[in-house]
Amino acid sequence: ESILSRIRSCEYSQKNAILVPVAALGVGGMLVCWLRSRHKIKTIEMGDGWWGSGERPAKGKEDERIRPFKIETSDKEIEDLYRRLDQFRYTPPLEGAAFHYGFNSNYLQKVVAYWRNQFDWRKQVEVLNKYPHFQTTIEGIDIHFIHVKPPYVPHGRAVQPLLMVHGWPGSFYEFYKIIPLLTEPARHGLNEGDVVFEVICPSIPGYGFSEAPHQKGFNTIAAARIFHKLMNRLGFNQYYVQGGDWGSRITTDMAQMLPQSVKGLHLNVAFVMMQGLSMMISVMLGAYVPWLIGFTREDARRMYPFKEKNIYYILRESGYLHLQATKPDTAGCGLNDSPVGLAAYILEKFSTWTDRSFLHRDDGGLESKYTLDDLLTNVMIYWVTSSIVSSMRFYKENISE
Amino acid sequence: SLAGIMLLEVFLVLGTVIIYFLLSKKKEETLPFKEGWWGKGQKPDAEEDTTIWPFKVETTEEELSDLFRRLDQARFTEPLENCSFHYGTNSVYLRKVVSYWKNQFNWKKQVEVLNKYPQFKTKIQGINIHFVHVKPPHLPEGQSAKPLLMVHGWPGSFYEFYKIIPLLTDPASHGLCDEHIFEVICPSIPGYGFSEAPHKKDFNSVSAASIFYELMLRLGFNEFYAQGGDWGYLICTNLAQIAPNHVKGLHLNLASVTNMGFTHLLSILLGRYLPGLFGFQDEDVRRMFPFLKKGLYRILLESGYAHIQATKPDTVGCGLNDSPVGLAGYILEKFSTWTDLEFRNLEDGGLERKFNLDDLLTNIMIYWVSGCIVSSMRFYKENMQKGIGTQKHERLTVQVPTGIASYPNEIIHTPQAWAQKKYTNIVSFHFMPRGGHFAALEEPELLAEDILQFVGKVEKEQLWRRK
Repeated sequence: ESILSRIRSCEYSQKNAILVPVAALGVGGMLVCWLRSRHKIKTIEMGDGWWGSGERPAKGKEDERIRPFKIETSDKEIEDLYRRLDQFRYTPPLEGAAFHYGFNSNYLQKVVAYWRNQFDWRKQVEVLNKYPHFQTTIEGIDIHFIHVKPPYVPHGRAVQPLLMVHGWPGSFYEFYKIIPLLTEPARHGLNEGDVVFEVICPSIPGYGFSEAPHQKGFNTIAAARIFHKLMNRLGFNQYYVQGGDWGSRITTDMAQMLPQSVKGLHLNVAFVMMQGLSMMISVMLGAYVPWLIGFTREDARRMYPFKEKNIYYILRESGYLHLQATKPDTAGCGLNDSPVGLAAYILEKFSTWTDRSFLHRDDGGLESKYTLDDLLTNVMIYWVTSSIVSSMRFYKENISE
Repeated sequence: SLAGIMLLEVFLVLGTVIIYFLLSKKKEETLPFKEGWWGKGQKPDAEEDTTIWPFKVETTEEELSDLFRRLDQARFTEPLENCSFHYGTNSVYLRKVVSYWKNQFNWKKQVEVLNKYPQFKTKIQGINIHFVHVKPPHLPEGQSAKPLLMVHGWPGSFYEFYKIIPLLTDPASHGLCDEHIFEVICPSIPGYGFSEAPHKKDFNSVSAASIFYELMLRLGFNEFYAQGGDWGYLICTNLAQIAPNHVKGLHLNLASVTNMGFTHLLSILLGRYLPGLFGFQDEDVRRMFPFLKKGLYRILLESGYAHIQATKPDTVGCGLNDSPVGLAGYILEKFSTWTDLEFRNLEDGGLERKFNLDDLLTNIMIYWVSGCIVSSMRFYKENMQKGIGTQKHERLTVQVPTGIASYPNEIIHTPQAWAQKKYTNIVSFHFMPRGGHFAALEEPELLAEDILQFVGKVEKEQLWRRK
């Protein structure tokens, strides 16, 4: 009251002298707050974890050495495989089934014959070993990765570290064809630009040559944290990350966990959660007025008719996901014991997820896009490491909540 | 005028009544018998051979040594710490089962057990149908045996009925009322066990029901009872819809309603608070609510197998036909969880609390030696690929006298209020005191008693129709 009466009693010019700065301060303050809040990025908590057997050791620091690693095989391993391939019990497909009931067992017999008689696992192991492999212990488990440096760095060019993360049912091997294009782009006729990469491809814990977690709860956030620690241990503070399938989720988590470390995030599949009513409305309207929603023609072509392409298709193709997200140990049990069963389960995805129309083909169209050597090498990684069950558990740890 | 108004009213009422009858008559239409030919290649011109020939399960040294070799080379994956059966079959327990399988289980002896009941095969619609046919050992003066068809499901087999058969063919010797004595026929669903698998697409529950109908006619039965659980409930339901004049009574230990409508949704939302309004009894409320936990989430958690089998049966079955340990892991998980959901919390899945390993492994061996796991899974796709609730038989009702035994540990509970919309002539509906999905194997006495009292009711009231 007294302040107000004092203000009212001031002369007009004096009022201005007080009111204008106060107003400016108020507005300025609000503006600063607003600007700062826009830049305040919410991050995922890093947290910590322990995935080794038993209790976490109370004392002592983790062994942080990075140990070189080579993939090996033995006569015993190959003979055991051949014995199992020879004793495979085959069920004839229904007449006219193609790949609609799953992997066609007539074509499977051909794959098994190639596997048994022409596929050379020793040679493929050499192929796998052509890039340097390493293992290091993080949070109690051994993390496997390959680290490929450019053979030759042109003068003045910066080498960018790039972490590439695989998914299921893939492996680090999926990157073997793209690595040279990134470490030596010029040699492969790519646009030189300023960028040359050194590529790090880890195996997700529970996949391939990375040890499987012994504790429950190992999800993409744990994997993201472990991979950050890996990059840190390799001496990188800032790096690019790339991923598809689970790799997409893990690298996204990495970018949200330590945005200051992730210079750039590249995805070949982007998962977005249903963002409520607005997304539903945009889906419904997008069929008729895509331009209003911001959908391009290509978006519209790929998304519609919505029910068929998104709902029915997903229902038909997500049985594996439903089973692995609920009973991974049951689902993987037989597959770890029958290499042919493992191959059928994995290669079905390489068929259908490459091109939906392959469902109509008796041979699933596999060899129109891949060589059997590459496909079987990927399957062998799951076989020789016995990692199919732990790879499936990742679905339960991430989805069942 | 007043008379005119009254006349109009009478006409309106009459008209409504007539329309009502016309509409409800539509729902009573029968399901057509499904013709088919399931053999390899083209259907031959010649008439089908209708002979019935005896069959015996056999085994060989080669079969056994092949099995043992595979058991010896089994590759297990350590389970996570403290996961019991929550991630599926626990491999530590599975190792114990495999050890028993190798060292104590005696398949030759079990084959003799299987062969203690007479088995037969006959060709119907192009494929060989296997069945067990057990006649009563003795019939009192003046009494005739009532034919009873009992149909198994997945991952079960005709073997599930081996404990209940004597209670039905010879009730007196087992302390049960012998007013009604049965001759029991347990076929194997085509694609299961010793029945040949269909070679053509589209073999669904109506196809199986049509084949079993033909089987019963071929055996000389004009009227019979039908009993089933799991797929058996659906096949027997379809049978009652195809041939209501031949099925005297339908007994089910699983009743499912796939044709859900607005009233169902309303009863789910409000049934906990106004059970009486929806015809729910106290036991219904106890079993069904909270609905998210006991209904929706439970179904989501436990239906992964059905989802993959209904879409990619050949993929998922492939490895299981090659690894007996994988097959056992897959099948035993169901015998654990579907018997009691609490068993998921146990390190050993509670399996040996209700079953013995000999019975469990005999059932698994039937899938193994016949190599039928893939074809058994295809049945899911053939029945569900067009979606649930879309097929004609799901919209038709059942007028045949029906008895339902509702077990407390069945995965999903169907209250009588829902069941009677489909089964319009429910003669008995009982909440069983204990037991789960595999009722005939787990609690044969309870099931036999319920069947006997149901048949007693049907016979007494002469409820079956003659045309």
